[in-house]
Amino acid sequence: MVDVSEAVKGDSKVPICPSIPSGEQTVWANASSLLHLACNDLRDGELIYGENFNLFAAMSALEIMDPKMDSGMVRTYYSVDEAIEYGAAPIPLSLDKTVDVQRIIDIMDHLLACEATWHKGCSLAQTVFSCLYLLRPDRTSSHALLHSYCRVMRATCNAVVCTVSDTRTNEEEDLFTMTHGLPLKVDGDDKCLTMLHAVEETIARQLRACKATLSKKRVTEDIEPLQNNPDLEEGLCKSLLCQLRFRKHFYHVVMNIKRPQGRGLELAKKHIACCFEELDSMIKSADFLRSISAPEDGMKNETTASGCQPVGFDSTLNSRLSAPTPPRAIETISWKKAAEYFQKLLHELEIICSYNLDPVFEGLLRFVVEFQKLRPELVARAHLQHLLVQDGKLYGRDSVFSVICKASLLPEVAKNHDIQKIEPVVQLGQLLITLLRVLCTNISWQRRKLGKILQDWRIIHVQLELAFRKECGDISATSSNENICMKICRHILIWVEEQTYWIASRFLMLGFELDLYSPGEYCMVYWYMYIILIKLAEKTHMRAMTSNDISKKKGKKKRDLVKEGGKDYQLPPAILFLQCHVYLAEGLTMMLAALRNERQMYVSTGPFNTEHERFVQHFELLLKACLPDHVSYYSFVETTAHAHLSNTAMYNCFKGAQRIAKELRSSFSNDPDKMAELRRIEQVAEHNSVALGLISRLGAVDASLKVQFEFSHHPFFATAVVKRS
Amino acid sequence: METRSENEPEVDIKASEIKYLSYGGEHHLPLIMNLVDEELSEPYSIFTYRYFVYLWPQLSFLAFHNGKCIGTVVCKMGEHRGTFRGYIAMLVVLKPYRGKGIATELVTRSIKVMMESGCEEVTLEAEVTNKGALALYGRLGFIRAKRLFRYYLNGVDAFRLKLLFPRREPEPFDSMASVDDESHEYNEHIHCGENPSCCQHSM
Ligand SMILES: CC(C)(COP(=O)(O)OP(=O)(O)OC[C@H]1O[C@@H](n2cnc3c(N)ncnc32)[C@H](O)[C@@H]1OP(=O)(O)O)[C@@H](O)C(=O)NCCC(=O)NCCS
Repeated sequence: MVDVSEAVKGDSKVPICPSIPSGEQTVWANASSLLHLACNDLRDGELIYGENFNLFAAMSALEIMDPKMDSGMVRTYYSVDEAIEYGAAPIPLSLDKTVDVQRIIDIMDHLLACEATWHKGCSLAQTVFSCLYLLRPDRTSSHALLHSYCRVMRATCNAVVCTVSDTRTNEEEDLFTMTHGLPLKVDGDDKCLTMLHAVEETIARQLRACKATLSKKRVTEDIEPLQNNPDLEEGLCKSLLCQLRFRKHFYHVVMNIKRPQGRGLELAKKHIACCFEELDSMIKSADFLRSISAPEDGMKNETTASGCQPVGFDSTLNSRLSAPTPPRAIETISWKKAAEYFQKLLHELEIICSYNLDPVFEGLLRFVVEFQKLRPELVARAHLQHLLVQDGKLYGRDSVFSVICKASLLPEVAKNHDIQKIEPVVQLGQLLITLLRVLCTNISWQRRKLGKILQDWRIIHVQLELAFRKECGDISATSSNENICMKICRHILIWVEEQTYWIASRFLMLGFELDLYSPGEYCMVYWYMYIILIKLAEKTHMRAMTSNDISKKKGKKKRDLVKEGGKDYQLPPAILFLQCHVYLAEGLTMMLAALRNERQMYVSTGPFNTEHERFVQHFELLLKACLPDHVSYYSFVETTAHAHLSNTAMYNCFKGAQRIAKELRSSFSNDPDKMAELRRIEQVAEHNSVALGLISRLGAVDASLKVQFEFSHHPFFATAVVKRS
Repeated sequence: METRSENEPEVDIKASEIKYLSYGGEHHLPLIMNLVDEELSEPYSIFTYRYFVYLWPQLSFLAFHNGKCIGTVVCKMGEHRGTFRGYIAMLVVLKPYRGKGIATELVTRSIKVMMESGCEEVTLEAEVTNKGALALYGRLGFIRAKRLFRYYLNGVDAFRLKLLFPRREPEPFDSMASVDDESHEYNEHIHCGENPSCCQHSM
């Protein structure tokens, strides 16, 4: 803003404006005439260049009165009060009681659409709080139905905002929780359920009375009907009831699900079931509502079940509150889509409520990864995070150190050991909490963040090693008289490494889900995945062996733990499971490399750089964190340079994956997620070995053979599809 | 605000008939503005264009056919978190002239200047749905480095595309303008995307 005091000094004609009190260093003045003079000197598109107003700053300039830039331009009213004065939000909505009820239902529907739009990433101000009735809490008090609905609406939004604020990790939450200037916390809203209940009771009685009349039974109580048209009484009562009950149960859901230590999950689950029911009734009553109203034709995005435009909304009024930038007109999603969104949300919340609060970290990770596959929106993810991390504890219940001990397969006694107080261990705990929170964020942001925290996990490993050595002496050599301190150290170090490789593998896999890799890059991606997965399997194995060894085979030499044991030794199912992925990654790497080497397919070239640069770019964060040590572009080139279709190694990879996946079925028969994954692995392996056979048999004779890679069987292991062009 | 209809006949032209010019001064500004206005509905104020073409005139190019401006590219470069990088802000070719390599030629010229000026990499954002632009940049060697969640206000994600130049001896970047530093993931100012209503984003 122009420094007015400067201007005042320069031009004494500028009148000081007495109506605005002056500050210590400033005085408010009317600068219109000065501006006017300045404007006469400037031609269109010119600019005054100042030290703190350069060309970059000028880009943010808005053209006043251009409706696309000046958000204040497009609007019907200047203020909420003016809108109300002009009758934009009448109370009652109509003097005709039937119409009044119909319009209220439209408002409820539209609010549902607004709420879903808000959940999907628009500001609260431009969505739910585009409702003039919500903006003036006192005004509705004469209309019990509307008033109670507005109250529960505000209270629900407030509860959701609180949960999301508590779980803040990135910009996504900031936009969601921006509530400045909105009457979100209104006195009495906390008692919204009492009011809602009373209104619900009345309507339930009205419905009963109406049904009794219809069946010509004697009316037991003398009760005034909801509205005047007896033909519509039943339908309207029912429509209202499911709306009110949905709100009631949904409020219970958001309040219970966030109770500490998952204590409200059972109750929340019951209310979710009720929400589903009421939502169903709402959807069913849509036909009725449509049949009794005269929806305007050609409304392309109906935000009400009736198809009528709702009364009492103005999304332009609040637009200035909504964002730090020039807000744009937003499109409210349709009522149908909103209902679908809530079904999805409720389903996701139901999964959260059914979670068994697994104390085993591995199980928890699997749960979160599976949950994310549903692509939950912010509200569902925030609730998950809220459950997982409370007061710096897992589920607000288990101390981080005890989680780490359990994950490292240490005995119970370890969790009270004093070593948890040393700085690096405390930091490790924080890293773990951060990891959990990151895993609950949207996958785009999650991947970026996972890439960055890899470095932290590497560093903490080094720091732990140093600190442990100081605390317990040499921990690398295991001896029969190993004390508990040494044991803790060794276990934790292995687990940290394993965890780091797990993060790295998730980082790489998410790249597929985010569509970050192009086919020309698949080969290097699978190669990197292959080496990361091997390391992961190795560390997982090592962790299992370390605990077995100590508990069972004390004193036995433990060299070459990492390598596969002798023939008599059977790898544990968890490792074999990873081995399937290793095989698929290896097979795909070699297959793609062979196609490139022999058939010039999927060669990635460009005029400005080479595959080397693209390799460095994609894996920059892994390389920086030395994951694993000594890996470089040249290791990739070395492995893939001699891949040929005639080489049987890759067939063996796919065959191997297929075989192990089959064998593993019996080990995971009561784990549906793992069973599903095994099935996917088998399919990818089978299709690829068939494709491979086809290419090597026909490829030499038929040059028109095209090979495409698709993700039809697995989200990140591609299937080759062979076509004649 | 696309003023041309989808089925407007393609113009039959030879590559040799297209003239490419580096930004040559104020008289080119309205040409660029009209072109971007015509193909993208986003209203950029004149200051947006000025910021780019005044500070980095050498990075902007225009393509002409029979004296008519039919394509343009607008870029900048500067220090960004310790790396000297180029940034492609706008790239537009009029519909009837598309698919003839004009955009590729325009953008190639800019990238060459960036490389010669000592840039280590080039970046831009494109909507995940903008197949044409993604294919074009992919062929030039750009990778999809990141996905930016709901980068555009219409809720569409963006890819951050990056092109890394081969490493070479470090050179002193003497007179290079290095103005702002968008330190924030969501701070880049100009976008280009298929959906023209969301090309500028300044969250
Ligand atoms: C993107 C745009 C600039 C491309 O202009 P163009 O002159 O047609 O591009 P080119 O002819 O140089 O295309 C080069 C390559 O890009 C790819 N490509 C371009 N447009 C494509 C499309 N619509 N679909 C698929 N691939 C496309 C092709 O691989 C093409 O090579 P090919 O024709 O040999 O197969 C143009 O479509 C446009 O102005 N779009 C609107 C604005 C915009 O999206 N700008 C880019 C934002 S970052």
